Order: sequence, then structure tokens, then C-alpha cells
Amino acid sequence: MESASVPLPHGAGGHAAEHEHHGPPEANQSSRIDRQTLGILLFIISEVMLFGSFFASYFFLRVVVNPASWPPQPFELPVGIAGMNTAILVSSSFTIHYALEGIRKGNKQAMKLGLALTWLLGLTFLFVQINEYVHLGFSVRTESFGTIFYSLTGLHGAHVFIGLTLLTAATIRAFRGHFDKAPEKHLGVEVPGIYWHFVDIMWIIVFATVYIL
Amino acid sequence: MRINERAVFKWVLIVGVAGASVIGLALLTRPLLGSLWGLVLVIAGCAYGIRWTREWWRSSRSRPGGPDYKP
Repeated sequence: MESASVPLPHGAGGHAAEHEHHGPPEANQSSRIDRQTLGILLFIISEVMLFGSFFASYFFLRVVVNPASWPPQPFELPVGIAGMNTAILVSSSFTIHYALEGIRKGNKQAMKLGLALTWLLGLTFLFVQINEYVHLGFSVRTESFGTIFYSLTGLHGAHVFIGLTLLTAATIRAFRGHFDKAPEKHLGVEVPGIYWHFVDIMWIIVFATVYIL
Repeated sequence: MRINERAVFKWVLIVGVAGASVIGLALLTRPLLGSLWGLVLVIAGCAYGIRWTREWWRSSRSRPGGPDYKP
């Protein structure tokens, strides 16, 4: 492989040449977006496509197969509990935003409080959803309705779990004093924050589609 | 526009308000009307997205790294 170092004239700066950078040159980076944020945005775009395929299946089953009623009799969805769960998840977006606004102003206590609250709200959402699954009265094998219901809400639940894992790491790091005011010093909160907002946005769409419409 | 958490949070608010309007309309009238309103919002969102992307590419020449960029 060709070296990236520039050969110096004979006898001039021979010592400096020893300390020159060898290997491939530094990767080019956009001045508008750092690579970590770009990475999570590309990941989110792929996730949007994944959710899109699940929504396509949902609408296919609901509109094209066209059962007499939706959800099929005698099943009922707990709209009230899911609505409360929606409020919990939407609140968690505000708390993660509070955490990030805090660290942007150099307020580490606000960041820790915001992260801890977000983590707790996310965990509550997941527990309520698991509890809902236990008491629903139908399973993933109950007609196409059961399959698509569990697939769509389960896919989202898996994303909440991934988000919680990222938040756990961010919260532990925050309490160990890893983050600071400068934008490049708190990317470890910024990136999970963006992902958490995505999870929140997807739930609003899933809730409106599956439980309300 | 700088892409960061603050910009994404703005979209949480926009989708939240849009979702609330769909849910409200579906509960107050009929689910079909809520669905149609949701479809209108999705189409409007797609149109906005396409316009934003085209504008982003159009202005790329004068941004840092572009051939017409003047610091």
C-alpha cells in the first residue's frame, strides 16, 4: 500500500520525517454534520423503510383482505392504556431534550436528571406494553390481525429496547462525568437522543394507525 | 439547517401535533375521516420532503466544499 507521507529533501528534516503520519489519509468529514450523527441518520432512514414494509403489510391485511370488522370480533384493543403509554413516551422525548439542552448550557445536573427520567419513562413504557400483551386475550397466531398487531407493536417494542440500551450506556457515562458542553464532547447523549426521538415519532404513527383508525 | 437533536425534536413536535389532529378527528367523527386526513398529511409531508431535498441539492454549490463557496 502506498504511504501518505511526503518524502522530504535529503538531509532536511530527516528527524521530522520519522514522526510523519503513515498509512491512509484522514477520512474527509463534512463541516455540516459529524460522522456519528450522519451514521445514526442513515440507520434511521433504513429503519423507516423497515417500518414502512410492516405498515404496508398492515394496510394490505386491513384494506385488501377487508374483514367485516377491525379488530375482528370479539377482540378489543385497550385504547386507554395505549393512550396513556403514548403520553409516557412523548414525555420522554421532552426529558431527553431537557437533558441535551442542559449539557449544551454546561448544566451537567440537568443532563443527568433528564437522562435518568427518560430511562425510567422508557422502561415504564416497555413494562406497560408487556403487561398489555399478557392481558390482551389473543396471541400472534390469532388470525392475520393478531400476527400484524404483534409484529408492528413488537417491532416498535424492540426499538424501544435498543433505545433503552443506548440510554443506559449514556446515563452511566453521564454519572461518571464523561460529557461536557462542547458539541463534540456530548455526542454520546446526542446520538441516543436522536434515536429516541425517532422511536417516539414511530410510536405516534403506530398508535394512531393500530389503535385509533 | 444544522442537523442535530434539536432539529429532530422539532419534528417530534410536528408529528405529535399532526398525530393528535388525526386521532382527534377520528375520535370525534369517523375513523375513515381521520384516515383520509392522515393521508393528506402524509402526502403534504412527502411533498415538503421532496422540495426540501431539491433545494438542498440546488444550494450545494455555494456551501462549504462546493465549487462556488466563498469563505
